[in-house]
Amino acid sequence: MREYKIVVLGSGGVGKSALTVQFVQGIFVEKYDPTIEDSYRKQVEVDGQQCMLEILDTAGTEQFTAMRDLYMKNGQGFVLVYSITAQSTFNDLQDLREQILRVKDKVDVPMVLVGNKCDLEAERVVGKQQGANLANHFDCVFMETSAKAKISVNEVFYDLVRQINKKSPKEEKNKKKPRLCRML
Amino acid sequence: MLVRGCGGGELRHSLAERTKALAAKCHALRSPAREQRSVERRRPRNRKSQTRWYVKQPTWRLWGEEKVDGAVYTVYLKKVRYHRPTRSASSESDDEISHLEWETVRVRFVKAGTVERLVEALATDDGELESTYVNVFLATYRSFAECGKVLDLLLRRYQALASEDVLPATVDTSQQHRKTLVACLHVWLDTYPEDFRQPPHHPALQQLLAFTQLHLPGSELHSKVLQKLAVFSAERNGCVGGAGVCLAPGMRVLQHHTSAYRLPHVPHRHFAEQLTRMDMELFKKLVPHQCLGAVWSRRDKDRSHDAATVLATVNQFNAVSFRVISTVLVEPNLRPIERTDILAAWLDIARELRVLKNFSSLKAIISGLQSNPVYRLRKTWAILSKEKAELFEELARIFSEDNNRWAQRELLMREGTAKFADTVGENDRQLQKLLHERGSPGVSHGTIPYLGTFLTDLTMIDTAIPDTVFDGLINFDKKRKEFEVLAQIKLLQGAANAYHLPCDPLFDRWFDSVIILDDREAYQLSCQIEPPTNPPKERRPKNINNNSQGHRKNDSIASTSSSNSSQFYCETDGAGNAWKRDSLERRISPTRLSHGSSSSSLPSLDVSLSSANSGQKTANGKAPATSPAHPNKTGPDFYIIRVTYESDCVETEGVVLYKSIMLSNNERTPQVIRNAMLKLNLDGDPDSYTLSQVLPEKEMVLPSNANVYYAVNTAYNLNFILRPRKPQTEAIVNGKAKNKRT
Ligand SMILES: Nc1nc2c(ncn2[C@@H]2O[C@H](COP(=O)(O)OP(=O)(O)O)[C@@H](O)[C@H]2O)c(=O)[nH]1
Ligand SMILES: [Mg+2]
Repeated sequence: MREYKIVVLGSGGVGKSALTVQFVQGIFVEKYDPTIEDSYRKQVEVDGQQCMLEILDTAGTEQFTAMRDLYMKNGQGFVLVYSITAQSTFNDLQDLREQILRVKDKVDVPMVLVGNKCDLEAERVVGKQQGANLANHFDCVFMETSAKAKISVNEVFYDLVRQINKKSPKEEKNKKKPRLCRML
Repeated sequence: MLVRGCGGGELRHSLAERTKALAAKCHALRSPAREQRSVERRRPRNRKSQTRWYVKQPTWRLWGEEKVDGAVYTVYLKKVRYHRPTRSASSESDDEISHLEWETVRVRFVKAGTVERLVEALATDDGELESTYVNVFLATYRSFAECGKVLDLLLRRYQALASEDVLPATVDTSQQHRKTLVACLHVWLDTYPEDFRQPPHHPALQQLLAFTQLHLPGSELHSKVLQKLAVFSAERNGCVGGAGVCLAPGMRVLQHHTSAYRLPHVPHRHFAEQLTRMDMELFKKLVPHQCLGAVWSRRDKDRSHDAATVLATVNQFNAVSFRVISTVLVEPNLRPIERTDILAAWLDIARELRVLKNFSSLKAIISGLQSNPVYRLRKTWAILSKEKAELFEELARIFSEDNNRWAQRELLMREGTAKFADTVGENDRQLQKLLHERGSPGVSHGTIPYLGTFLTDLTMIDTAIPDTVFDGLINFDKKRKEFEVLAQIKLLQGAANAYHLPCDPLFDRWFDSVIILDDREAYQLSCQIEPPTNPPKERRPKNINNNSQGHRKNDSIASTSSSNSSQFYCETDGAGNAWKRDSLERRISPTRLSHGSSSSSLPSLDVSLSSANSGQKTANGKAPATSPAHPNKTGPDFYIIRVTYESDCVETEGVVLYKSIMLSNNERTPQVIRNAMLKLNLDGDPDSYTLSQVLPEKEMVLPSNANVYYAVNTAYNLNFILRPRKPQTEAIVNGKAKNKRT
């Protein structure tokens, strides 16, 4: 079964962990244990194919700035999350995207732009059109979600799987290039 | 058969015992039988049972839930032995005892409840102290109640018990209950004295004082309260000594008068020890409950200030990574092998950190090396020796994100409270060699964990588990879950006392003097060192202003003059001087440093940079060019200059301390002075200082509004002196006249 490493990025408080938990657990369960090794893994079927998604949530470590590069290096697909209730979280994404492109050294990286907390319509400060524009600018898919109201959460991840499939149809058998091109 | 609630002695799962169990486990885990664990993925069930210490004991059985007014309990049935005075209870294993000697006891745990009910549950039905519960409660209550509220409930309960017309038969129980409440207050005051600080009037403590005066005059609790009050008010009146003093009592100061703290030729072990000493101080000060998801990860609620000790740890972690990145990149003109030597030096330091079991700085260094601007330097990495490259992979493997950071968790479990580092994977050739070389170490060490794993766990617990259940009852099971993580942190904090590390103020000075590069600066430098082979075609917004190269200097000025600029020189011109940490050297948080350098002394490869970094920009607005916008350019548009502050300060006598700052090509004197002041931690008006370049024969004072980039003499070292402006001495150019302030 093919494995997909998905990284969820965005400022603190936008709902990254909520999205992750919502996706991985479905419902909030009492027995949730974040310290076991498959707590961020989920098997799903996308377009008739079984996939194993491993979600890398940077929750709680957003401020360990030096580690972001590593997350990005390891990730195959990225969820860039802002909250529709906080303009600054939207603005932060430009930098994050640039960092991803630099680290990946590619122009085209599987990515979904997500405006979360769309259940809080009354507190909205980032318009839907703004999100769509940014996605257009990023040349990526845009979705508004609510981790709380369970709106479009799975779709975000399914879309990423499809993007990854499209960009690299087959599982690369030889896991990327050797770390340091050292030929001794 | 159902018997009453649990007896006190049966259920002591105090932190101490849990700690012992963990420690024992750590030892047990080190048996060779468990060596081949890497074979396959662990079964999660197994791991779960390790953490549910009170649930899965063989003689426990879940019975169900019990709802009462304001609380829900989980009820277990537990088999216990009859008390047989003739036999020593511990002499036989449980299995050998006939079933006739067992009875079943019904034990209940609060699952959820109102604050009132949760406070009541500090004592069992019999009035015994429920120590596990008390520990969990005190470690986590802040997320559902204020200190004052809890204290109030506790005291009220005591008063109610005291005034109750109790039946003679229950007098004992009532007294026991009160005794337990007093015990709780003791534990609270001892374990979390900070809760009671509440400056300036310490209301909770005052309330407690009034209570003890009335109900428990002359008691131990009473005098404890008085003593705490005295301490707080003394502190308020500024009688605390030693704040900011680096030396812990009894610590030896290593004197490194003449050594240049200059990578790569640094004493690795010493550097590792000093990093560990810094981490240890912060880790011991860490307040575990500040790590709770509700406190640390809720920046949307602007509570980050409640997590100051966590932030300090994170800042230190970043500071170490920044230093790795900066020392590798800051000198663009090193020969590849020289740069590789710097990588190797950091790896050697990292190796020593592994021996010291300092996983925080270890990970910080690995993260720095894995950061894109450093990691992408293929030519530099390519000539790293095979051993070093192997070492890097082995160390990096420790922090693999795979399987929810399984490797790291396992390692911490095994070595957390063990005395020495002795866990290596079968494939870790370099680490095996290292431990072999060291033989059995004579000194035992504590452990400093990488805090991020705990922070993630706590954040996820907080996200996944609801705060309230059953229509608004506080979900205490969530608190238990959180406490499992907090208990581990506390345990490791205790273990950190095993470190005995000397304090070297010169190291701190070196540490502070290293320039901090932000993301873009680092990437730009990196691209200067090794231009991208295949520069990504950046998709830029159409309205970006690309004409920023107008004032670009086109000649490539090699910054030879700034070689070693990231290093800290300590020049001694006389007798040995013992430094004190003076106010100049107080640690500036890396965020501030970074911000300082990014907003003011940026390389000016792109004019939009400074605005991009100084504030929010709208996503649809212009984006700063971060990728090598001009790959054919070879030289930097900035210099790194070294600035020292000249004063009469006795502490620095005889020693010249340089700080590095970046000087970009559009910065004028006041701005450069401001940057230097920030780096040197000086306050005041830039106009009251002068800046001069040190030249072999003379000093050149910079005119008060010069474009410094063009004004400096690049034929010589870019060493500068910042000094207070003397009245009436505007344009002195010659002479190294000391500005002794009179
Ligand atoms: N109303 C609403 N709140 C949300 C949503 N997603 C997350 N939150 C809340 O926003 C806060 C931050 O969420 P969290 O997942 O911790 O954000 P993170 O820091 O990005 O991981 C929490 O209080 C969540 O309950 C959502 O879709 N709607
Ligand atoms: Mg989070």
